[in-house]
Amino acid sequence: MKCRICNREALKKYCELHEKAHKNIVRKYDDWKRAADISWKEYLNEIVKNPYTGSWAKEVAEQLMKNEDR
Amino acid sequence: MEKYTLIVTEKPDAAQRIAQALDHTGKPEKVEKNGVPYFLAHRDRKLVVVPALGHLYTVVHERGGRNYYPVFSFRWAPRHLAERGVKQIRVWIEMISRLASDAEEFLDACDYDLEGSLIGYCILKYACENKEGVAKRMKFSTLTKSELEKAYDEPLPQLNFALIEAGKTRHEVDWLYGVNLSRALTLAANRWSGRYTTLSTGRVQGPTLKFLVGRERAIQCFVPTPYWNIKAEVELKGSTYEVEYERKEIEKRAEAEAIVEACKGKTGEIRKIDIKKFQQGPPIPFDIGALQTEAYSLFGYTPRRTAGIAERLYLEALISYPRTSSQKLPPIINYRAILDALSRETVYKNLASRLLEKEELKPREGTKEDPAHPAIYPTGNLPERVLSDPEKRVWDLIVRRFMAVFGEPAIKQSIKVCIEVNGHNFYLRGRQILKEGWMHFYKPYIRTEEVLLPPIEEGERIQLRQVTREDKFTKPPPRYNPSSLLKKMEEEGIGTKATRADIIETLYSRRYIMDERIVVTELGFDIIDILRQHCPGVISVELTRELEEKMERIQSNSGKREDTLVEAVGLLKPLLEEFKEREETIGEALSNAIKKARMQERIIGNCPNCGTGKLMILYSRKTRKRFIGCTNYFKGICKTSFPLPQRGTAKPMGKNCSSCGWPLVRVQIRGRRPWRLCFNSDCPLKEERRKRNEMQNLQQGSLKKIL
Repeated sequence: MKCRICNREALKKYCELHEKAHKNIVRKYDDWKRAADISWKEYLNEIVKNPYTGSWAKEVAEQLMKNEDR
Repeated sequence: MEKYTLIVTEKPDAAQRIAQALDHTGKPEKVEKNGVPYFLAHRDRKLVVVPALGHLYTVVHERGGRNYYPVFSFRWAPRHLAERGVKQIRVWIEMISRLASDAEEFLDACDYDLEGSLIGYCILKYACENKEGVAKRMKFSTLTKSELEKAYDEPLPQLNFALIEAGKTRHEVDWLYGVNLSRALTLAANRWSGRYTTLSTGRVQGPTLKFLVGRERAIQCFVPTPYWNIKAEVELKGSTYEVEYERKEIEKRAEAEAIVEACKGKTGEIRKIDIKKFQQGPPIPFDIGALQTEAYSLFGYTPRRTAGIAERLYLEALISYPRTSSQKLPPIINYRAILDALSRETVYKNLASRLLEKEELKPREGTKEDPAHPAIYPTGNLPERVLSDPEKRVWDLIVRRFMAVFGEPAIKQSIKVCIEVNGHNFYLRGRQILKEGWMHFYKPYIRTEEVLLPPIEEGERIQLRQVTREDKFTKPPPRYNPSSLLKKMEEEGIGTKATRADIIETLYSRRYIMDERIVVTELGFDIIDILRQHCPGVISVELTRELEEKMERIQSNSGKREDTLVEAVGLLKPLLEEFKEREETIGEALSNAIKKARMQERIIGNCPNCGTGKLMILYSRKTRKRFIGCTNYFKGICKTSFPLPQRGTAKPMGKNCSSCGWPLVRVQIRGRRPWRLCFNSDCPLKEERRKRNEMQNLQQGSLKKIL
């Protein structure tokens, strides 16, 4: 199986590097929801725009924005 | 023929200084044969001082050939037999051998550390034909006349063999790791792709790159979390001051908004004024790591650059031996004499006099010790030539730090004023230096600013001028820079004070990392991934640290070289066997990584026309000429292309044109200075330059007419 983003070897949807970024994105949503009361889509939009978001996390967020599933 | 003592030194500059110090007239005769200089001096007898060129001997493979591994049999041989571009080593060794044949006594005057001891030992053993057993050792920490004379008059009866054994082991273990692992990587990639690229890793290089990869992963996977700050200003006796809210971080936006609303336009009352006086002790003397860190933060010099500058200052007898891990300054160096000598320099006159007035001079010291050398200190000698700006800066830093360690503690005062506004607390902070103490000597390099507050009293009413909410986000961990990486290596106990800076440079030259705020390249990631999968032991920090400790034990005579070597081979052998079994898979992964890295290096920047493609240096299939093209061309979206000069090298600069914002290319033709090329034909800078040239031509034309 190949990573949806970078074509590296993947166990599930993503390679090891993007999987870690994906886990971070899912985990951090609770913090954002509590802090700013925003929806999942708004959250993804925010982190894609944010200059502190790492580039792999941005790639995963962009991918998630295109596909509805988490 | 008059018999003489042969003194072996590490470098030509050191040889000259030693000869000058020992010659009774201070003017030794310089002789140069086949490009090898040596010095004839006269003291109690004739002395011949001959320099080396750093290491003249190195570890080589017994059998030769480069295209196989593992290799475990080695010997020590002249460097010119193992390395390219060092032909002069042969002449150098021949000259030392010739001088040794007529010498009666031998003195090793190389630097008194691991590397220096090994350099001297190899020369005495191989070039002088087994004189290592009869040679005596000069031990000194500065190249000043008095210390060199003392080291000559009272030499150690023999070489420090424990130090030599430790040095030999370090070189041999590093060679075993370096040569086997680097060959394994290079050959795996070469056999798969048929293209040769030097890849390397080593006992210290691998774990160092692993730290960087770990940090890079954390940065690239980072997702920030929002929080809010409350920013406010108060007016006090006609001046405006910033105050901070009692909580530094507010986790909910709604809560932050409520605080702003509650405080807007309100008047506060001073509830409490806390005044604290505290002492700040002087800094400790520089060891090499601390000097490199300070020079990086103050002047932006890389650790390697600082080490190079310090080495030059040492060779000019301006500072003591810099490659030390000691933070101690023993009284034997004679503090008063050094300060007295420094006071001859106008800038230091008042500072030194102030310290000399003290009855007792006692430096503040750190805990680290080095058996061979004290911490870095100025010798008291003044420069005999005009120092370059970087040399001047580093020397001044060392002089001022030396003075500062004898200073009194500084006394500072901090004031914390608590202002209550509608149930919320804000803090106003002031900082003041009451007594400079040691800071007086180190002033140019101190980075704290005073905040002086006007006289205020508890119960006083204060108008809050402005209250705002600031949107903030948590930040990813910071990137390492060469200085913080060096510190990390030191903390982890890997590498030595002499090798750490060079290892960082190697990571840059192999293109595993780039930029000052270190970014790991794809190639760097892939190398670590491959090593982690196939031979994790190679990048294990614990393993490297264990080996370091074993080598240190050899230095203190509680460990044996043979045992450490057997252990190193025992660790390497199964790793390499496993690597060989998977060579094809590893080769494919490495080749892909190299290919990707090469492609990455050719990307210049974003395409200014289509906005989505990348501009790249490409080669025409028909003409083989190079040009710049957009990657979207292959998708049929963008046909942007620009010509490039065909001679020399063209590389992306990673910067944009200051005028038009297009990415720049660095072009270099052999023998000429490189230039930056903006390939935008409509760039306003080009227009300006054209007009300027026209004006110049016109002026020249009218001048010719007048003449």
